Amino acid sequence: MVTVAFKDLALSNAAQRGMPHERICFTPHPVWGKTDEEMYAYLEGNDPVSGKPLMKEVIGALTNPLTAEESKTGEVSVSTGPETFADTEDNLQQYYIDNGMTDFMQIVLPTEERVEAMLKGTSHKPDEVVGKMSPARGSYPDWSFTVRQVAINAVMAGAKPEYFPTVLAMAASGVTALSSSTNSFAVAAIINGPIRDKLNMNYGIGAMGPFAQPNAAIGRAWTMLSRNLSNSGIPGQTYLGTLGNSVNYNNLIIPENEKASPWTPLSVQKGFKVDENVVSLFVGFSISQGQGGIGLGVKPVPQYHQAIAYNCTPFLPLFGALIVFDPLVAQGLVELGFKTKEQLAEWLQKNQTISAKDARSTLTGGRWAPESIPDDQRVTYYQRPDSYNFVVVGGQTNPYHMVANMSYRVSVSIDQWA
Amino acid sequence: MNRRKMLSLLGASPAMLAGARIEAETSKKTNAKAGAAAGKIVALNPKGNPPPIQLVPMAKRLDTLDGKTIYLVSDGFPGADHFLNQIAIWFRKNMPSVTTIYRLKAGQFADDDPKLNAEIKANGNAVIMAIGH
Repeated sequence: MVTVAFKDLALSNAAQRGMPHERICFTPHPVWGKTDEEMYAYLEGNDPVSGKPLMKEVIGALTNPLTAEESKTGEVSVSTGPETFADTEDNLQQYYIDNGMTDFMQIVLPTEERVEAMLKGTSHKPDEVVGKMSPARGSYPDWSFTVRQVAINAVMAGAKPEYFPTVLAMAASGVTALSSSTNSFAVAAIINGPIRDKLNMNYGIGAMGPFAQPNAAIGRAWTMLSRNLSNSGIPGQTYLGTLGNSVNYNNLIIPENEKASPWTPLSVQKGFKVDENVVSLFVGFSISQGQGGIGLGVKPVPQYHQAIAYNCTPFLPLFGALIVFDPLVAQGLVELGFKTKEQLAEWLQKNQTISAKDARSTLTGGRWAPESIPDDQRVTYYQRPDSYNFVVVGGQTNPYHMVANMSYRVSVSIDQWA
Repeated sequence: MNRRKMLSLLGASPAMLAGARIEAETSKKTNAKAGAAAGKIVALNPKGNPPPIQLVPMAKRLDTLDGKTIYLVSDGFPGADHFLNQIAIWFRKNMPSVTTIYRLKAGQFADDDPKLNAEIKANGNAVIMAIGH
């Protein structure tokens, strides 16, 4: 039984798993938050899709004999359409948009010549399998893809061949930029290593905004390849984000400002050498401004750590914390005694707390605040300091930070895709 | 189910299914020459590779629910437990010979639960699983 808001998802998922005739009955939506009486009324009413009495349908689903179609076995191959499309430029642009292969903006048309040029950005063979990806691992089948297929998407996004190893590394991670969740998730990619300067990436003023071609194109390529190489981003089927998220247009691409940071780069914390080129990927809720948090602007020395703890208060501990600092904030935190990112993480893990009562009222709070804990007892948001990750970026025009309720997923070597 | 319906459920777009005005070429070389000759541009399909689908036949149905045991399984989404309890109440009121057993599936929403599957196979006759918010 599935609530009707997920009708398309349920039917397409059943088909993709080899059960196009799975017997599914639908209920009104939502169930969550309804009283017992309201839910019982659903049962006494009709299936909103078929219009038939719901429980009669449920009984029929369990007892009506199978049809020949329902008993079929065998294999069905799935076509994704022809290898090429031929038409005028205007018609092709509209065709790609109409068939959901873009971010609904014009693309760089992926001609054979352009794709061949992109492939020169890597030493890897065009037919090599890069990896696999799905809109939500375990919930949808994984699609696989080759270097050439990633190149097609990189061209569409406006990437240059020198950006291609970074795009390949992101594709190889298997992390989709368009998660299927109803939560309208966002993703972030932290770039470390000399490649930031080689590509002329922006990690100064406006680093996370539309102010540098590599930042923009690499981020857009992630969305494009997620859409096309893993079937992510089909509203109602593989994308259920109820509000959507404008971050998905080209994601949070954050080259760390390693020169201006007093701390170890994120990639080194994850086990890489400082001169290795690495992309580290995060998934979760969106990012929000940290200005105005408690501890900022009033005292002679802003208490940045207190502001960060305060700004992370609305977080859902289902996901970790990714904190993005301007170098001025990082330097201020060092002056406050946080000589390393690890020290800051330890302080935050101990001091970012919530009452047990409030914890239990959150979606997953019962896991770390069972009923046995008194209502007014404080519990920590996170059980481990490594739930916090930090990256230093920005142009030092003001000591600001941003906070994102995001979890670290994986770090991938860009160099291995060169 | 016909092929068009199947493809639409698998994510093939309506425009592509409807037979768009774009020529669908299958040979790159032929396509490039034809396209250039006609003053058209030839562009590449950006899609990845979906796995083939193994059809899974549905389990045999019951002749009747009378005297049978139905497992009511929640996948963990909020509200599913309360909703399934209402189904249990419905059966008690309307089909009292049916026995219902409630279980919360282990793991994340899409995870398999082999222990529960084995229990249902041993002790149950049918399953109703609740999915959604």
